Amino acid sequence: MDAKTIKLKIKRQDKPESKPYWQEFEVPYKPLSNVIACLMEIQRTPLTADGKQINPVTWDANCLEEVCGSCTMLINGKVRQSCTALVDQIKQPIVLEPMSKFPVVRDLQVDRSRIFKDLKKAKAWIPIDGTHDIGEGPVMSDSLRAKRYVLSECMTCGCCLEACPQYTKDNGFMGAAIFSQVRLFNLHPTGEMTQEERLETIMGKGGIADCGNAQACVESCPKNIPLTESIADMGRQTSWQLLKNLLLK
Amino acid sequence: MATLSKDQAHFLLLKIHSLTGIVPIGVFLVFHLAINSLRTVGPLQYQLSIDFINNLPFLFGIEVLFIYIPLLIHSLMGFYVVFSGKPNVLRYPYARNWLYTLQRLTGGVVFVFLVYHMGTTVVPKIMEGKTLFAAAPFLIDILNQEFQTWTGRIIYLVGIFSATFHFSNGLWAFCISWGIIIGQTAQRNAGVLFTLVGIVLTLLGFATVMEFSFHPIPVTPTVEG
Ligand code: HEM
Ligand code: SF4
Ligand code: SF4
Ligand code: FES
Repeated sequence: MDAKTIKLKIKRQDKPESKPYWQEFEVPYKPLSNVIACLMEIQRTPLTADGKQINPVTWDANCLEEVCGSCTMLINGKVRQSCTALVDQIKQPIVLEPMSKFPVVRDLQVDRSRIFKDLKKAKAWIPIDGTHDIGEGPVMSDSLRAKRYVLSECMTCGCCLEACPQYTKDNGFMGAAIFSQVRLFNLHPTGEMTQEERLETIMGKGGIADCGNAQACVESCPKNIPLTESIADMGRQTSWQLLKNLLLK
Repeated sequence: MATLSKDQAHFLLLKIHSLTGIVPIGVFLVFHLAINSLRTVGPLQYQLSIDFINNLPFLFGIEVLFIYIPLLIHSLMGFYVVFSGKPNVLRYPYARNWLYTLQRLTGGVVFVFLVYHMGTTVVPKIMEGKTLFAAAPFLIDILNQEFQTWTGRIIYLVGIFSATFHFSNGLWAFCISWGIIIGQTAQRNAGVLFTLVGIVLTLLGFATVMEFSFHPIPVTPTVEG
């Protein structure tokens, strides 16, 4: 058979507690394929490169246009979205691994609920619900809107956390995405009214002071969010908050 | 003031770690290298500078309060910080990630160097009770000998470079951690500026090492008159 094929090497794991193992695959070449298309091909024909019948590889994906973040995995060692990883642009064999900073559910699926827990901890929202109508909020300038828009594009994919040397599987560091969201909501004219509450959440263990300024986060964010600006800004806001706490309270 | 919660204490300690890196330790490093480089001006100027320091009132108290205690706090917290992360620069080989890794590595090297450097200078000085005008000839004699061998010279070159790198890269980190510099362009420009600071400090230190290595000075106490 001399038809063109795509070679893949995939790190597999059957259960959250079981040991990972590697398998190699070869799927027929189709022009313009992405990594997800290869995984779908393996699902249709679950055979390894040497013809062994296996359970298909599982993975997460949803939007297929790099806006949901669910298909994030390690591709040739680096974290990125598999829906926008085009086969023609990457080296073969294509090595696929689940993200290493989150618990594996199965194969390439991971459980990223730590990010959502940290977003909740950081109160990354604007409280407006209550028992009575609180009226309209202040007007937002267009330049502020534009600045916030960039930050709001975060899809909680976790690339910035996976690439961060300070973010380990079990140290409780919140990471760049969370700090950037705190900045997003503190920049909102209504959100600003509760900014102290948010700042206090990142002024503890795992908070902003644990960042080591490696800036791997900003290099790996697929949305090009200026994470290191957010980190520096949060550094500034928390430093003022510290001073206020020491001198005014 | 109410008592601190665990989280507040953690935050405060890391802020103190960051601050002590600049004041007083960083400021001390700059003055230390600058004053020692008087060695390149002349033996007399050099000896007088050591005489001046060793004739300061409350010298030991100043050293303990403004150098040894902050240095100990910064080092202990520094090692805690080193072990809280896991360098991944081989997988993500970006420039800043290299600097992050080197910041941790040089911190360790500086620590080892300081144990050696203080162990061969201040510790014997204090043990043998060399104070006032007796300190300078005693210390210069030790340094003359240390710089006779390439081992000694290399220890100093590595130690000085680690300290100047750690300090100038630390200046940059400090500016981000405290939010003094925020924009990406400003961060880049600050990086260039602090690189220059690092180069100047390194040259100061290296010039002193060279001078000691190739022109040891005669040891005679300064006398009044
Ligand atoms: C003696 C052993 C030392 C150790 C183990 C150590 C360790 C560290 C570590 C790990 C950091 C990184 C903190 C971070 O980026 O979050 C750091 C930062 C820093 N260190 Fe040291 N260090 C030592 C000595 C020194 C000395 C001698 C100086 C003075 C020249 C110094 C100045 C700084 C500065 C200015 C920072 C930046 C603070 C910041 O990140 O905001 N350190 N140190
Ligand atoms: S900040 Fe960027 S890398 Fe991090 S979770 Fe959001 S989109 Fe992903
Ligand atoms: S700057 Fe470095 S340590 Fe801080 S969040 Fe980004 S990658 Fe992690
Ligand atoms: S499937 Fe949504 S980002 Fe890839």
